[in-house]
Amino acid sequence: MARVRLGAAFLRLFTVQASWNYERLIGVGTGFVAEPLLRGLAPDRYRAALGRASRYFNAHPYLSGAGAGALARAEMDGVPVEQIERLRGALAGPLGSIGDRLVWAGWLPTLSALTLAAVTWGGGATAVAVFFIVYNAGHVALRWWALRAGWHYGPRVAAALQEPWIRRAGQVLGPATALALGFALPMVVQWSGDAFRGWPRITLAVAAAVAFGLLRWRPDILSGLRLGLVLVVIALVAGVLWP
Amino acid sequence: MIAHGWALLVLGTIVGLDLVSFPQMMLARPIVAGTLAGLVLGDVGAGLRLGVLFELFQFDILPVGATRYPEYGPATVVAVGAAQAFALPFGLGLATLVGLFTAMIGGVSLQILRRLNTRAVTVAGPALERGDVGALVRLHFAGAGRDLLRGALVTTIGLVLVAITREFVVPALSHRGERLLSVAATSAALAAGAAGTLRLVGLGTHLKWLAAGLVGGIVVAWLV
Repeated sequence: MARVRLGAAFLRLFTVQASWNYERLIGVGTGFVAEPLLRGLAPDRYRAALGRASRYFNAHPYLSGAGAGALARAEMDGVPVEQIERLRGALAGPLGSIGDRLVWAGWLPTLSALTLAAVTWGGGATAVAVFFIVYNAGHVALRWWALRAGWHYGPRVAAALQEPWIRRAGQVLGPATALALGFALPMVVQWSGDAFRGWPRITLAVAAAVAFGLLRWRPDILSGLRLGLVLVVIALVAGVLWP
Repeated sequence: MIAHGWALLVLGTIVGLDLVSFPQMMLARPIVAGTLAGLVLGDVGAGLRLGVLFELFQFDILPVGATRYPEYGPATVVAVGAAQAFALPFGLGLATLVGLFTAMIGGVSLQILRRLNTRAVTVAGPALERGDVGALVRLHFAGAGRDLLRGALVTTIGLVLVAITREFVVPALSHRGERLLSVAATSAALAAGAAGTLRLVGLGTHLKWLAAGLVGGIVVAWLV
Protein backbone atom coordinates (compact mmCIF):
# COMPACT_ATOMS: atom_id res chain seq x y z
CA MET A 1 0.00 0.00 0.00
CA ALA A 2 2.84 2.39 0.87
CA ARG A 3 4.41 1.76 -2.56
CA VAL A 4 1.13 2.54 -4.35
CA ARG A 5 0.81 5.80 -2.40
CA LEU A 6 4.43 6.68 -3.13
CA GLY A 7 3.77 5.95 -6.82
CA ALA A 8 0.70 8.20 -6.79
CA ALA A 9 2.69 10.98 -5.11
CA PHE A 10 5.43 10.53 -7.73
CA LEU A 11 2.98 10.95 -10.61
CA ARG A 12 1.50 14.03 -8.95
CA LEU A 13 4.99 15.52 -8.68
CA PHE A 14 4.94 16.26 -12.41
CA THR A 15 2.17 18.81 -11.77
CA VAL A 16 3.67 20.34 -8.62
CA GLN A 17 3.82 23.85 -10.09
CA ALA A 18 0.35 23.79 -11.72
CA SER A 19 -1.13 26.12 -9.10
CA TRP A 20 2.01 28.31 -8.63
CA ASN A 21 0.97 31.58 -6.98
CA TYR A 22 2.51 34.55 -5.16
CA GLU A 23 0.88 33.69 -1.82
CA ARG A 24 1.98 30.09 -1.24
CA LEU A 25 4.32 29.57 -4.24
CA ILE A 26 4.30 25.76 -4.72
CA GLY A 27 2.60 25.12 -1.36
CA VAL A 28 -0.71 24.02 -2.89
CA GLY A 29 1.17 21.70 -5.28
CA THR A 30 3.16 20.27 -2.38
CA GLY A 31 -0.07 19.52 -0.53
CA PHE A 32 -1.43 17.87 -3.67
CA VAL A 33 1.70 15.68 -3.92
CA ALA A 34 1.74 14.81 -0.22
CA GLU A 35 -1.97 13.95 -0.05
CA PRO A 36 -1.69 10.23 -1.00
CA LEU A 37 1.09 9.79 1.57
CA LEU A 38 -1.13 11.14 4.34
CA ARG A 39 -4.06 8.77 3.71
CA GLY A 40 -3.00 6.38 6.47
CA LEU A 41 -3.77 8.99 9.14
CA ALA A 42 -7.00 9.15 11.14
CA PRO A 43 -9.52 11.61 9.52
CA ASP A 44 -8.90 14.47 11.98
CA ARG A 45 -5.14 14.20 11.77
CA TYR A 46 -5.33 13.72 7.98
CA ARG A 47 -7.20 17.01 7.50
CA ALA A 48 -4.91 18.91 9.86
CA ALA A 49 -1.82 17.49 8.15
CA LEU A 50 -3.19 18.27 4.67
CA GLY A 51 -3.93 21.84 5.74
CA ARG A 52 -0.34 22.25 6.89
CA ALA A 53 1.12 20.54 3.80
CA SER A 54 -0.63 23.09 1.54
CA ARG A 55 0.88 26.16 3.21
CA TYR A 56 3.68 28.33 1.80
CA PHE A 57 6.52 26.29 0.40
CA ASN A 58 9.18 26.79 -2.21
CA ALA A 59 11.68 24.45 -3.85
CA HIS A 60 13.08 23.55 -7.21
CA PRO A 61 10.27 21.54 -8.86
CA TYR A 62 12.44 18.47 -9.45
CA LEU A 63 13.51 18.40 -5.77
CA SER A 64 10.15 19.43 -4.29
CA GLY A 65 9.38 15.74 -3.71
CA ALA A 66 11.99 15.74 -0.94
CA GLY A 67 9.95 18.42 0.83
CA ALA A 68 6.59 16.77 0.23
CA GLY A 69 7.92 13.35 1.28
CA ALA A 70 9.70 14.65 4.38
CA LEU A 71 6.70 16.69 5.57
CA ALA A 72 4.35 13.75 4.99
CA ARG A 73 6.67 11.36 6.82
CA ALA A 74 6.92 13.78 9.73
CA GLU A 75 3.11 13.93 9.93
CA MET A 76 2.86 10.12 9.79
CA ASP A 77 5.46 9.79 12.56
CA GLY A 78 3.57 12.21 14.80
CA VAL A 79 6.32 14.82 14.92
CA PRO A 80 5.20 17.93 16.86
CA VAL A 81 3.56 20.63 14.71
CA GLU A 82 6.14 23.30 15.62
CA GLN A 83 8.93 21.02 14.41
CA ILE A 84 7.10 20.34 11.13
CA GLU A 85 6.71 24.08 10.53
CA ARG A 86 10.41 24.60 11.25
CA LEU A 87 11.24 21.78 8.82
CA ARG A 88 9.15 23.42 6.09
CA GLY A 89 10.98 26.71 6.57
CA ALA A 90 14.39 25.07 6.71
CA LEU A 91 13.92 22.99 3.54
CA ALA A 92 12.76 25.72 1.16
CA GLY A 93 16.14 27.43 0.71
CA PRO A 94 18.39 24.38 0.13
CA LEU A 95 15.89 22.57 -2.11
CA GLY A 96 15.70 25.69 -4.28
CA SER A 97 19.39 26.50 -4.47
CA ILE A 98 20.60 22.91 -4.97
CA GLY A 99 18.04 22.34 -7.73
CA ASP A 100 18.82 25.61 -9.47
CA ARG A 101 22.53 24.86 -9.39
CA LEU A 102 22.25 21.23 -10.49
CA VAL A 103 19.47 21.53 -13.07
CA TRP A 104 18.81 25.07 -14.35
CA ALA A 105 22.47 26.12 -14.25
CA GLY A 106 24.03 22.68 -14.84
CA TRP A 107 22.33 19.67 -16.39
CA LEU A 108 20.00 21.66 -18.69
CA PRO A 109 22.42 24.20 -20.24
CA THR A 110 25.12 21.52 -20.61
CA LEU A 111 22.85 19.23 -22.61
CA SER A 112 21.32 22.15 -24.49
CA ALA A 113 24.77 23.39 -25.55
CA LEU A 114 25.86 19.92 -26.63
CA THR A 115 22.63 19.58 -28.62
CA LEU A 116 23.22 22.90 -30.39
CA ALA A 117 26.74 21.75 -31.25
CA ALA A 118 25.40 18.43 -32.53
CA VAL A 119 22.73 20.15 -34.64
CA THR A 120 25.31 22.43 -36.25
CA TRP A 121 27.36 19.33 -36.95
CA GLY A 122 24.49 17.78 -38.88
CA GLY A 123 22.91 15.80 -36.05
CA GLY A 124 19.45 17.06 -37.06
CA ALA A 125 16.31 15.91 -35.28
CA THR A 126 18.15 12.87 -33.89
CA ALA A 127 20.34 15.14 -31.77
CA VAL A 128 17.20 16.79 -30.37
CA ALA A 129 15.64 13.39 -29.63
CA VAL A 130 18.80 12.32 -27.78
CA PHE A 131 18.69 15.57 -25.76
CA PHE A 132 15.06 14.91 -24.83
CA ILE A 133 15.72 11.32 -23.72
CA VAL A 134 18.97 11.96 -21.83
CA TYR A 135 17.69 15.11 -20.13
CA ASN A 136 14.52 13.41 -18.97
CA ALA A 137 16.35 10.30 -17.77
CA GLY A 138 18.14 12.59 -15.32
CA HIS A 139 15.02 14.63 -14.63
CA VAL A 140 12.76 11.67 -13.77
CA ALA A 141 15.50 9.95 -11.74
CA LEU A 142 16.07 13.13 -9.73
CA ARG A 143 12.35 13.53 -8.98
CA TRP A 144 12.10 9.89 -7.86
CA TRP A 145 15.26 10.10 -5.72
CA ALA A 146 14.04 13.30 -4.04
CA LEU A 147 10.62 11.89 -3.18
CA ARG A 148 12.06 8.64 -1.86
CA ALA A 149 14.72 10.46 0.14
CA GLY A 150 12.12 12.75 1.71
CA TRP A 151 9.80 9.86 2.55
CA HIS A 152 12.66 7.71 3.88
CA TYR A 153 14.48 10.33 5.97
CA GLY A 154 11.50 12.44 7.09
CA PRO A 155 12.65 15.30 9.36
CA ARG A 156 16.28 14.18 8.85
CA VAL A 157 16.05 14.77 5.07
CA ALA A 158 18.91 17.30 5.25
CA ALA A 159 21.19 14.24 5.52
CA ALA A 160 20.08 13.12 2.06
CA LEU A 161 20.91 16.54 0.65
CA GLN A 162 24.47 16.09 1.90
CA GLU A 163 25.01 12.79 0.09
CA PRO A 164 28.37 12.73 -1.72
CA TRP A 165 26.87 12.41 -5.20
CA ILE A 166 25.14 15.78 -4.87
CA ARG A 167 28.39 17.49 -3.95
CA ARG A 168 30.25 15.67 -6.73
CA ALA A 169 27.56 16.50 -9.28
CA GLY A 170 27.84 20.17 -8.35
CA GLN A 171 31.63 20.03 -8.70
CA VAL A 172 31.48 18.31 -12.09
CA LEU A 173 28.56 20.20 -13.61
CA GLY A 174 30.02 23.70 -13.10
CA PRO A 175 33.09 23.15 -15.30
CA ALA A 176 31.18 20.83 -17.66
CA THR A 177 28.55 23.50 -18.31
CA ALA A 178 31.17 26.16 -19.00
CA LEU A 179 33.09 23.78 -21.28
CA ALA A 180 29.99 22.71 -23.23
CA LEU A 181 28.73 26.28 -23.67
CA GLY A 182 32.15 27.46 -24.76
CA PHE A 183 32.42 24.59 -27.24
CA ALA A 184 28.96 25.17 -28.72
CA LEU A 185 29.16 28.95 -29.22
CA PRO A 186 31.76 29.09 -32.04
CA MET A 187 30.04 26.24 -33.85
CA VAL A 188 26.68 28.00 -33.67
CA VAL A 189 28.28 31.28 -34.78
CA GLN A 190 29.80 29.60 -37.82
CA TRP A 191 26.60 27.71 -38.65
CA SER A 192 24.51 30.88 -38.38
CA GLY A 193 27.00 32.92 -40.40
CA ASP A 194 27.11 30.36 -43.22
CA ALA A 195 23.65 31.53 -44.33
CA PHE A 196 25.06 34.95 -45.28
CA ARG A 197 27.60 36.16 -47.81
CA GLY A 198 29.08 39.61 -48.53
CA TRP A 199 27.71 42.70 -46.72
CA PRO A 200 25.13 40.74 -44.64
CA ARG A 201 27.90 38.63 -43.15
CA ILE A 202 29.99 41.66 -42.17
CA THR A 203 26.89 43.41 -40.79
CA LEU A 204 26.06 40.27 -38.81
CA ALA A 205 29.49 40.19 -37.17
CA VAL A 206 29.44 43.91 -36.31
CA ALA A 207 25.81 43.89 -35.09
CA ALA A 208 26.35 40.78 -32.94
CA ALA A 209 29.48 42.29 -31.35
CA VAL A 210 27.76 45.63 -30.63
CA ALA A 211 24.64 43.87 -29.31
CA PHE A 212 26.77 41.67 -27.03
CA GLY A 213 28.55 44.78 -25.73
CA LEU A 214 25.21 46.49 -25.04
CA LEU A 215 23.87 43.45 -23.18
CA ARG A 216 27.01 43.33 -21.03
CA TRP A 217 27.01 47.10 -20.49
CA ARG A 218 23.39 47.57 -19.43
CA PRO A 219 21.98 44.24 -18.21
CA ASP A 220 19.73 46.23 -15.86
CA ILE A 221 17.64 47.61 -18.71
CA LEU A 222 18.48 45.39 -21.68
CA SER A 223 17.50 41.74 -22.06
CA GLY A 224 17.93 39.45 -25.05
CA LEU A 225 14.24 39.85 -25.86
CA ARG A 226 14.24 43.66 -25.71
CA LEU A 227 17.41 43.96 -27.73
CA GLY A 228 16.13 41.43 -30.26
CA LEU A 229 12.84 43.29 -30.67
CA VAL A 230 14.59 46.65 -31.08
CA LEU A 231 17.07 45.32 -33.64
CA VAL A 232 14.49 43.43 -35.67
CA VAL A 233 11.99 46.32 -35.69
CA ILE A 234 14.73 48.74 -36.84
CA ALA A 235 15.66 46.25 -39.56
CA LEU A 236 12.00 45.93 -40.54
CA VAL A 237 11.57 49.68 -40.93
CA ALA A 238 14.82 49.88 -42.90
CA GLY A 239 13.75 46.89 -44.98
CA VAL A 240 10.44 48.50 -45.93
CA LEU A 241 12.01 51.90 -46.71
CA TRP A 242 15.10 50.49 -48.49
CA PRO A 243 14.04 49.24 -51.93
CA MET B 1 -2.86 25.28 -44.24
CA ILE B 2 -5.83 25.33 -41.85
CA ALA B 3 -4.98 21.79 -40.68
CA HIS B 4 -1.43 22.96 -40.05
CA GLY B 5 -2.77 25.92 -38.08
CA TRP B 6 -4.77 23.62 -35.81
CA ALA B 7 -1.79 21.30 -35.39
CA LEU B 8 0.42 24.25 -34.41
CA LEU B 9 -2.24 25.46 -31.99
CA VAL B 10 -2.34 22.06 -30.28
CA LEU B 11 1.46 21.87 -30.20
CA GLY B 12 1.81 25.44 -28.89
CA THR B 13 -0.73 24.69 -26.15
CA ILE B 14 1.09 21.52 -25.05
CA VAL B 15 4.42 23.33 -25.12
CA GLY B 16 2.93 26.20 -23.09
CA LEU B 17 1.60 23.77 -20.49
CA ASP B 18 4.95 21.99 -20.27
CA LEU B 19 6.87 25.10 -19.24
CA VAL B 20 5.50 25.27 -15.70
CA SER B 21 2.42 23.12 -15.04
CA PHE B 22 2.90 19.68 -16.58
CA PRO B 23 5.19 17.75 -17.06
CA GLN B 24 8.24 20.09 -17.34
CA MET B 25 10.02 17.67 -19.68
CA MET B 26 11.54 20.48 -21.77
CA LEU B 27 9.03 20.22 -24.62
CA ALA B 28 8.95 23.98 -24.06
CA ARG B 29 12.66 24.26 -24.78
CA PRO B 30 12.93 26.09 -28.15
CA ILE B 31 15.19 23.48 -29.73
CA VAL B 32 12.58 20.78 -28.95
CA ALA B 33 9.50 22.91 -29.72
CA GLY B 34 11.03 24.11 -32.99
CA THR B 35 11.92 20.59 -34.11
CA LEU B 36 8.43 19.33 -33.27
CA ALA B 37 6.86 22.23 -35.18
CA GLY B 38 9.15 21.46 -38.12
CA LEU B 39 8.05 17.82 -38.04
CA VAL B 40 4.37 18.87 -37.95
CA LEU B 41 4.86 21.14 -40.97
CA GLY B 42 7.14 18.75 -42.85
CA ASP B 43 10.06 21.19 -42.70
CA VAL B 44 12.46 19.96 -40.03
CA GLY B 45 15.22 22.21 -41.38
CA ALA B 46 13.25 25.39 -40.61
CA GLY B 47 12.29 23.96 -37.23
CA LEU B 48 15.91 23.30 -36.33
CA ARG B 49 17.15 26.67 -37.60
CA LEU B 50 14.56 28.62 -35.60
CA GLY B 51 14.92 26.20 -32.69
CA VAL B 52 18.64 26.98 -32.47
CA LEU B 53 18.00 30.71 -32.81
CA PHE B 54 15.41 30.83 -30.01
CA GLU B 55 17.50 28.46 -27.88
CA LEU B 56 20.18 31.18 -27.95
CA PHE B 57 17.61 33.70 -26.72
CA GLN B 58 16.66 31.16 -24.02
CA PHE B 59 20.26 31.14 -22.76
CA ASP B 60 19.58 34.69 -21.60
CA ILE B 61 17.12 33.36 -19.00
CA LEU B 62 17.59 31.53 -15.71
CA PRO B 63 14.02 30.63 -14.67
CA VAL B 64 14.53 30.67 -10.90
CA GLY B 65 11.77 31.35 -8.39
CA ALA B 66 9.35 34.14 -9.21
CA THR B 67 11.50 35.80 -11.88
CA ARG B 68 9.76 37.30 -14.90
CA TYR B 69 10.86 35.95 -18.24
CA PRO B 70 9.62 35.70 -21.83
CA GLU B 71 8.14 32.41 -22.96
CA TYR B 72 10.05 31.06 -25.94
CA GLY B 73 8.31 27.64 -26.38
CA PRO B 74 5.02 28.63 -28.07
CA ALA B 75 6.94 31.53 -29.64
CA THR B 76 9.22 29.07 -31.44
CA VAL B 77 6.23 27.03 -32.63
CA VAL B 78 4.64 30.21 -34.01
CA ALA B 79 7.91 31.32 -35.61
CA VAL B 80 8.30 28.01 -37.45
CA GLY B 81 4.71 28.36 -38.68
CA ALA B 82 5.52 31.91 -39.77
CA ALA B 83 8.61 30.83 -41.70
CA GLN B 84 6.51 28.40 -43.68
CA ALA B 85 3.60 30.80 -44.17
CA PHE B 86 5.83 33.61 -45.45
CA ALA B 87 7.69 31.32 -47.86
CA LEU B 88 10.50 33.87 -48.26
CA PRO B 89 14.09 32.94 -49.16
CA PHE B 90 15.25 34.83 -46.03
CA GLY B 91 12.02 34.47 -44.04
CA LEU B 92 13.86 33.64 -40.81
CA GLY B 93 14.10 37.30 -39.75
CA LEU B 94 10.43 38.11 -40.13
CA ALA B 95 9.50 34.80 -38.47
CA THR B 96 11.77 35.74 -35.55
CA LEU B 97 10.06 39.11 -35.23
CA VAL B 98 6.66 37.41 -34.86
CA GLY B 99 8.20 34.87 -32.48
CA LEU B 100 9.74 37.55 -30.26
CA PHE B 101 6.42 39.38 -29.96
CA THR B 102 4.74 36.07 -29.09
CA ALA B 103 7.45 35.41 -26.47
CA MET B 104 6.77 38.81 -24.91
CA ILE B 105 3.02 38.16 -24.82
CA GLY B 106 3.72 34.72 -23.33
CA GLY B 107 5.79 36.30 -20.55
CA VAL B 108 3.03 38.77 -19.71
CA SER B 109 0.45 35.97 -19.74
CA LEU B 110 2.51 34.06 -17.14
CA GLN B 111 2.29 37.03 -14.77
CA ILE B 112 -1.47 37.26 -15.27
CA LEU B 113 -1.81 33.52 -14.65
CA ARG B 114 0.15 33.78 -11.40
CA ARG B 115 -2.06 36.65 -10.22
CA LEU B 116 -5.22 34.68 -11.09
CA ASN B 117 -3.87 31.68 -9.19
CA THR B 118 -3.05 33.91 -6.21
CA ARG B 119 -6.61 35.27 -6.16
CA ALA B 120 -8.03 31.72 -6.30
CA VAL B 121 -5.74 30.58 -3.47
CA THR B 122 -6.75 33.55 -1.32
CA VAL B 123 -10.43 32.71 -1.82
CA ALA B 124 -9.84 29.02 -1.06
CA GLY B 125 -7.53 29.77 1.89
CA PRO B 126 -9.96 28.80 4.70
CA ALA B 127 -10.90 25.52 2.97
CA LEU B 128 -7.20 24.71 2.47
CA GLU B 129 -6.48 25.38 6.13
CA ARG B 130 -9.31 23.01 7.09
CA GLY B 131 -7.62 20.28 5.03
CA ASP B 132 -10.47 20.09 2.51
CA VAL B 133 -9.05 17.67 -0.08
CA GLY B 134 -11.76 18.53 -2.63
CA ALA B 135 -10.88 22.22 -2.50
CA LEU B 136 -7.18 21.40 -2.82
CA VAL B 137 -7.65 19.19 -5.88
CA ARG B 138 -10.05 21.67 -7.55
CA LEU B 139 -7.67 24.55 -6.94
CA HIS B 140 -4.70 22.64 -8.30
CA PHE B 141 -6.45 21.42 -11.46
CA ALA B 142 -8.00 24.83 -12.03
CA GLY B 143 -4.47 26.24 -12.11
CA ALA B 144 -3.46 23.66 -14.72
CA GLY B 145 -6.63 24.42 -16.69
CA ARG B 146 -5.87 28.15 -16.68
CA ASP B 147 -2.35 27.41 -17.90
CA LEU B 148 -3.73 25.22 -20.69
CA LEU B 149 -6.01 28.06 -21.81
CA ARG B 150 -3.11 30.51 -21.50
CA GLY B 151 -0.92 28.38 -23.77
CA ALA B 152 -3.74 28.13 -26.32
CA LEU B 153 -4.39 31.87 -26.19
CA VAL B 154 -0.72 32.83 -26.58
CA THR B 155 -0.35 30.47 -29.56
CA THR B 156 -3.55 31.78 -31.12
CA ILE B 157 -2.39 35.38 -30.80
CA GLY B 158 0.94 34.37 -32.34
CA LEU B 159 -0.79 32.67 -35.28
CA VAL B 160 -3.00 35.74 -35.79
CA LEU B 161 0.18 37.85 -35.86
CA VAL B 162 1.52 35.50 -38.54
CA ALA B 163 -1.60 36.04 -40.67
CA ILE B 164 -1.47 39.84 -40.24
CA THR B 165 2.25 39.95 -41.05
CA ARG B 166 1.78 37.80 -44.15
CA GLU B 167 -1.04 40.03 -45.35
CA PHE B 168 0.46 43.46 -44.71
CA VAL B 169 4.22 43.24 -44.11
CA VAL B 170 5.49 40.52 -46.46
CA PRO B 171 4.32 42.32 -49.65
CA ALA B 172 5.97 45.56 -48.52
CA LEU B 173 9.34 44.01 -47.74
CA SER B 174 12.16 44.21 -50.28
CA HIS B 175 14.53 41.31 -50.87
CA ARG B 176 17.32 43.37 -49.29
CA GLY B 177 15.04 44.09 -46.34
CA GLU B 178 14.41 40.39 -45.85
CA ARG B 179 18.12 39.77 -45.56
CA LEU B 180 18.57 42.72 -43.23
CA LEU B 181 15.87 41.30 -40.95
CA SER B 182 17.59 37.92 -40.91
CA VAL B 183 20.90 39.56 -40.07
CA ALA B 184 19.29 41.53 -37.22
CA ALA B 185 17.52 38.45 -35.79
CA THR B 186 20.62 36.26 -36.00
CA SER B 187 22.93 38.88 -34.50
CA ALA B 188 20.53 39.51 -31.60
CA ALA B 189 20.26 35.76 -30.93
CA LEU B 190 24.04 35.28 -31.00
CA ALA B 191 24.56 38.27 -28.69
CA ALA B 192 21.86 37.04 -26.28
CA GLY B 193 23.35 33.53 -26.28
CA ALA B 194 26.87 34.80 -25.64
CA ALA B 195 25.78 37.26 -22.93
CA GLY B 196 23.63 34.61 -21.24
CA THR B 197 26.52 32.16 -21.34
CA LEU B 198 28.90 34.61 -19.73
CA ARG B 199 26.33 35.50 -17.05
CA LEU B 200 25.73 31.82 -16.26
CA VAL B 201 29.40 30.87 -16.16
CA GLY B 202 30.47 34.05 -14.37
CA LEU B 203 33.90 35.58 -14.20
CA GLY B 204 35.14 33.24 -11.46
CA THR B 205 36.74 29.83 -11.40
CA HIS B 206 34.77 28.39 -14.34
CA LEU B 207 35.91 31.03 -16.79
CA LYS B 208 38.96 28.94 -17.73
CA TRP B 209 36.66 26.05 -18.66
CA LEU B 210 34.63 28.39 -20.85
CA ALA B 211 37.85 29.56 -22.52
CA ALA B 212 38.95 25.94 -23.07
CA GLY B 213 35.57 25.16 -24.60
CA LEU B 214 35.79 28.19 -26.87
CA VAL B 215 39.21 27.12 -28.13
CA GLY B 216 37.93 23.59 -28.78
CA GLY B 217 34.81 24.89 -30.52
CA ILE B 218 36.81 27.27 -32.71
CA VAL B 219 39.19 24.47 -33.73
CA VAL B 220 36.34 22.07 -34.54
CA ALA B 221 34.38 24.77 -36.40
CA TRP B 222 37.49 25.64 -38.42
CA LEU B 223 38.25 21.99 -39.24
CA VAL B 224 34.65 21.23 -40.23
